[in-house]
Amino acid sequence: MIVCVAVVGHQNNPLYLQSFTEADDALKLHHIVHCSLDVIDERVNNPKRSAPTLNETFLGLLYPTENYKVYGYLTNTKVKFIMVTTDLDVKDADARNFFRKFHAAYVDAVSNPFHVPGKKIASRSFGVRVSTIVKSFGSGTTG
Amino acid sequence: MDPLRSYLGRLLLEEITPVVMVLTTPLAEAACKKSGLSFVDMLSPFSLFKKIDVPVRTASEVPYRLQMFKIRMVYASDVRKEDYEVADEKIKPVVSEADEKALPDLLSGPPQLEDVLGKPEAELCPLWIKKFNRELMRTLSFSEHETFDHPVACLLVVSSMDKEPISKFVDLFNTNQLPSLLNEGIMDPQILKHYLVLHDQQEGPQDIAVNVLAEMRSTLGSNDCKLLCINSSTEADGSNADNSWLPYKALGLNNHEGTCFLSMDDLNEVLQHLVYIMCVPFPLRFAGGTNAKEGKLCCSVIFLALDHYSSVLPLLIKDFMQDFASNHIIPYMEQKIRVLNQQVATTRKGFRNQIKNLWYTFTSIESQIRVLGDFAFMLRDYELALSNYRLLATDYKLDKAWKRFAGVQEMSGLCYSMLDQSRKDAEYCMENAFSTYLRIGSSGQRSATRCGLWWAEMLKTRGQYREASSVYFRISNEEPSLHSAVLLEQAASCYLLSSPPMLRKYGFHLILAGNSYYMSDQKKHAVRTYRNALFVYKQNPWSYINDHVHFNVGRWYGVLGILDVAIKHLLEVIACSHQSLSTQNMFLNDFFHYVQSMGKKFDVHKLQLPVFNMSSLRVVHEDHRTYASDADVDVSESTWQELEEELIPSSSVVRTNWLDTQPKSSLRKFKDSSVCVAGEAVKVNVELKNPLQIPVDVSGISLICQLSTNLDALSSDVSGLTLDGGKDQVNIEPSVSIFETNADNFIVSQLDIILRGGESKRVQLDVTPKVEGVLKLVGIRWTLSNSVVGYQYFEFDAQKKNKKGKKGRRRPFNNNLVVIKGLPKLSGSIEHMPTKAFAGDLQLLKLNLRNHSEFAVKGIKMKISNPRFLIPGDSSDIGLEFSHCLKKQKQSVVSSKSMKENFKGLLFVFPQDIEIQAGATLSWPIWFHAATPGNVSLYISLYYEMENSSDIKYRTLRMHYSVEVLPSLDISFAISMSSSRLQEYIVRMDVVNKTPSESFVLHQLSCVGSKWAISALTSCSSISSVETVSANQAVSCFFKIKDFEADSCKEAGSGSYRSDIALHPGTSGDVFDVARAPLADFHFQERYRQGKLAKGPCSLLDFVLISKAAGNSSKPSPDLQLLSHHTCHCSARNQSPVWWLMEGPRTITHDFSKSCCEVSIQLVIHNSAEHRSSVRVATFDAMPEKSQTVHPHDSTSVQGGWYDVSLENDIKTISSAKSTHHEKQYSKSISPYVWCSLSSAQIDLQPDSCSRVPLKVCIFAPGTYNFSNYELQWKVHPSKRAQVNEDVNGPSGGGPGHPFYVTVLQSV
Repeated sequence: MIVCVAVVGHQNNPLYLQSFTEADDALKLHHIVHCSLDVIDERVNNPKRSAPTLNETFLGLLYPTENYKVYGYLTNTKVKFIMVTTDLDVKDADARNFFRKFHAAYVDAVSNPFHVPGKKIASRSFGVRVSTIVKSFGSGTTG
Repeated sequence: MDPLRSYLGRLLLEEITPVVMVLTTPLAEAACKKSGLSFVDMLSPFSLFKKIDVPVRTASEVPYRLQMFKIRMVYASDVRKEDYEVADEKIKPVVSEADEKALPDLLSGPPQLEDVLGKPEAELCPLWIKKFNRELMRTLSFSEHETFDHPVACLLVVSSMDKEPISKFVDLFNTNQLPSLLNEGIMDPQILKHYLVLHDQQEGPQDIAVNVLAEMRSTLGSNDCKLLCINSSTEADGSNADNSWLPYKALGLNNHEGTCFLSMDDLNEVLQHLVYIMCVPFPLRFAGGTNAKEGKLCCSVIFLALDHYSSVLPLLIKDFMQDFASNHIIPYMEQKIRVLNQQVATTRKGFRNQIKNLWYTFTSIESQIRVLGDFAFMLRDYELALSNYRLLATDYKLDKAWKRFAGVQEMSGLCYSMLDQSRKDAEYCMENAFSTYLRIGSSGQRSATRCGLWWAEMLKTRGQYREASSVYFRISNEEPSLHSAVLLEQAASCYLLSSPPMLRKYGFHLILAGNSYYMSDQKKHAVRTYRNALFVYKQNPWSYINDHVHFNVGRWYGVLGILDVAIKHLLEVIACSHQSLSTQNMFLNDFFHYVQSMGKKFDVHKLQLPVFNMSSLRVVHEDHRTYASDADVDVSESTWQELEEELIPSSSVVRTNWLDTQPKSSLRKFKDSSVCVAGEAVKVNVELKNPLQIPVDVSGISLICQLSTNLDALSSDVSGLTLDGGKDQVNIEPSVSIFETNADNFIVSQLDIILRGGESKRVQLDVTPKVEGVLKLVGIRWTLSNSVVGYQYFEFDAQKKNKKGKKGRRRPFNNNLVVIKGLPKLSGSIEHMPTKAFAGDLQLLKLNLRNHSEFAVKGIKMKISNPRFLIPGDSSDIGLEFSHCLKKQKQSVVSSKSMKENFKGLLFVFPQDIEIQAGATLSWPIWFHAATPGNVSLYISLYYEMENSSDIKYRTLRMHYSVEVLPSLDISFAISMSSSRLQEYIVRMDVVNKTPSESFVLHQLSCVGSKWAISALTSCSSISSVETVSANQAVSCFFKIKDFEADSCKEAGSGSYRSDIALHPGTSGDVFDVARAPLADFHFQERYRQGKLAKGPCSLLDFVLISKAAGNSSKPSPDLQLLSHHTCHCSARNQSPVWWLMEGPRTITHDFSKSCCEVSIQLVIHNSAEHRSSVRVATFDAMPEKSQTVHPHDSTSVQGGWYDVSLENDIKTISSAKSTHHEKQYSKSISPYVWCSLSSAQIDLQPDSCSRVPLKVCIFAPGTYNFSNYELQWKVHPSKRAQVNEDVNGPSGGGPGHPFYVTVLQSV
């Protein structure tokens, strides 16, 4: 189950952060997302991998915390997508697929002429779309 | 880097060292107690040898030299596994002691990014943390799965005062008294024994002791017996001696490595103490020399001093220890290693030890290998140690003795690390050990922690800080909260040390650490860690986290009683709009709680609750421009300036001549700053917003102002006036208290409001200067919930000024206002000015002007932006009864015409004799007409001059009203020409009521101008059926109008035709006069406006429909509401510009017996086009003949569309098919007639003119004839220029004649 998704701007400012748990753990998730940025920074700044992975937007597993796994995705405009999940064995393909959909939703949201770039995403339809993507992620892995 | 020199190396040297078990007799212990120390404590400082420099040879043949060496002295009673709880209790003071020292730090500001990055590692990981780590590891001392805590030697101590010292030695090493570990066979009891006789110099001469020693040597062996004399100090009697050891205790020598834990401060304190108590000048010299920065240097200095002081004693101990270590312990260990090595080698070579041991006693081969490994490790023969550990690992693994296996792996990892060979192997071993410890459950937890600590140190030594921090993090999970906190803090510092520093993780782990500290009741530490993390969250808007940190820091500071700092931090979070209601409540409650605990009101610069939107700041001050209401200020200055263009004298008028500089200069002086008038309030509009969902109580909102009566200050230097250096000073936050309100010079308003959750309010704050001078607006102050005073200074920086671009609005914004002498001022308003009106609404209003000052004003002029809506009335209009005054009266209408000239343009000049005296009120009528639907802004500017001329000669009063005009009746007219009479028109009036609920009574319809007469159609003489148009109803009425000016007949004179028609039956005589003011004036405006829009080529006439609001059916409106709708430039709906009709007698009596009848008729042709046109008229007689050629049955068959076509008839019928239409129209009664005057005529018609063409018809028999057998063709010549161009032709057309029936009768 995905517990949290986040969009973080290129200046590492949070643009969107939504948790999907009932528990009051917003602060914790904020912290987790915030910390993941360190890992993303590190990956981006030390590209030790070979050339083909340089253009890869999917960053893979960022780091496992006690109960969560954090996956990351980096767009060309240096906007980061972060997904926190409780599933302990997530297939890379699933995660990739999730981020692709998420990215599309984000692109649509920021294409809104009323969206101010660099400001938090206030679009309600984006939220709805994201939550459906999140829900489908859970069902996709089981089915 | 040499692993031995690294911190890990030091740690291993000091922690994994040979243990010497100490057994003392009570008397020996008592002798030591005289100096306040136990025997072990006394020896401990000398158990560390920095440079022992002894050769060591272990299993290999090649000896090497050992430099640093340490012995752990442990009482036999302590050689046991301690309870975890008890051990953990011992750790607690380490942490809590450190927090005492943290206090001064907490009072300073939180560290910033640069501070933290610049910190050396030592500061990030302070000594107390290192000490904590050691203590944590020590809780595992004497665990059964390891052997490096097994005593290597035993030191038996007997006092020289003891009776029979030799037997005492035997008693001491009595197995019953030995630690259980030795007795149970876990530890080897066959260890090196060393005998010491302790002699207290004060008890007696040394001879006794020497005798005892001799005795010992003879029985116990000469090498292993020693004599130690203590308390040799000459001046040291009982109490003094006690004191003299104080420094030792203070230095923390009970701790095995006490010297390292001291800060400079402690040392200085100790040194002073030392000097004071001992009164020895000598150490002072050393103290003087302790400027050295290193703490350790200081320590050694102290040691030197102490050594010197009681020179005999410590030197003896030192010698003893040196000898003990190098001559006994090390050789013993060497020998043991060799023996064990031999043993292991043979055992291993012979056969594998296949017997599974559940209990590994010291005799088991595994234990022996382990001992061998550990001894080798302690003597730093890591190669040997490693080979044995690896040997063991396989065995233990086979035996599934996991804890032992893990222990061996741990040691192998350390060996690899110390050998600095294979990092990978080291890592693998540590990882393996760590996970194995964890796997075995709770019994392995602390071991895992220790292993993790080693591991982390190992990684840190190699600079792998990130990995180290994750190890710290992992072990923190296994520990109780206090330990976990310290471990997390170390994890955090490792993230900071990693390159590049991972600040977010640093912050996060600090927060986690802080949380754990808080849970374990270490608030100071909690605050410290949170505070250190603050800067991480500052830069980015991670507000949730930032709020959490600030809030907790604030709260904990509050708990610690540091209220001011607590409040400072809480201030950061109280304006958290993004938090939930409950969180906001919590934040606010805590904030107020601490504020109240402070017990006094205090000032907060830039308090964020409520938020003052400084960009919304508007300063309204009135110089020569005054405003009727505050809303009027929002109108842009350019609108006013445009309006006032003709109203106010241009600047050249003010200056009488170019030499006369005096009046000018006084104005010039104020040019750069705004001017306000003493006694008149300067208003500041500002928006404030409550970001919370909780209502907040804001009271005493007022301006902070300064008024300097020294006027020259401004001209000399504005910044000089700003008293405190203006901005710069403001930035360094001068206390708000310096701006005490000076009630003599000015008065400021106080405002109390309660802002509901999320509410924004615009407030107006006033300051009224009382004296002349320069008023400076400094800022705003307010009180939040009666406990916190917030204040904020206005920031007028240049950038803002430019960005705002308030060009024309006000001169460059300046918070300095020049206060000039009091001036007369008019206030004005239009009484009962409607805010909503129906279109067409006509009202008489009153403009009231009041003079508040003690001087009269004169020369009043007024300009209105939209005369379509507002027209000033005549002074006579006042007091007239509304609507009645508009009625048609008997007197002449000419007088009202004069008004129009008076109101030329938009400027209205009040009669010259009007002056408004002091305190008086002038009322002036003003007409309002809601001309068109929509939102309309009406601007009125009043100009007046002062009686007593001062700096300002005149002032203007600006009024602004906006009216929402709702659609009411939609009226349109369709005029069509009467086909029978030339100058008559049929008018269809369509009235649609567009209101949802209102109904209107149609009162009167008037044509404007004397030329037109209007009357109801005779057929519908009563139109009472349409008197009321109710909501959404549409009504059409028909009228006839007649242009009787152009008409030759003078019926108008008779009065039967009038330009008004009453639509309401009861009011036929009660019509309104549209030719009088104000209806005429409004009509004039309407005509002008609508003329702009009119697109038709010619306009015929204007209509005015006057109606009355009937109100809702339920309640008839008591006051009569009059609506007038003006529809201008109506024109006839004609298709072609040229129209014509036949005129002539309709009935003729003629005697056909005498002659044929000649009828004279006229064809009247009218050109209504704007251009000249030519018309050609042709008559023809052929038509009847043609019609006669057509067979009746043929025509019917054509009509039917089906007929039997004969080939002969074919062509003929088709050719005549067109004419059959004409023929069809003719009635059967038509008899032939002949045109007899002319067959065709060409006429040129000027625009808008008529022409008559005389025609004659000859009739031969009585009957009714239709003289329509003619055709007209016309062509408009657009203009001269167009005429030249052949291609461009005006519209042209033509048509057959209209039917004109004439009945000719046979005269009798």
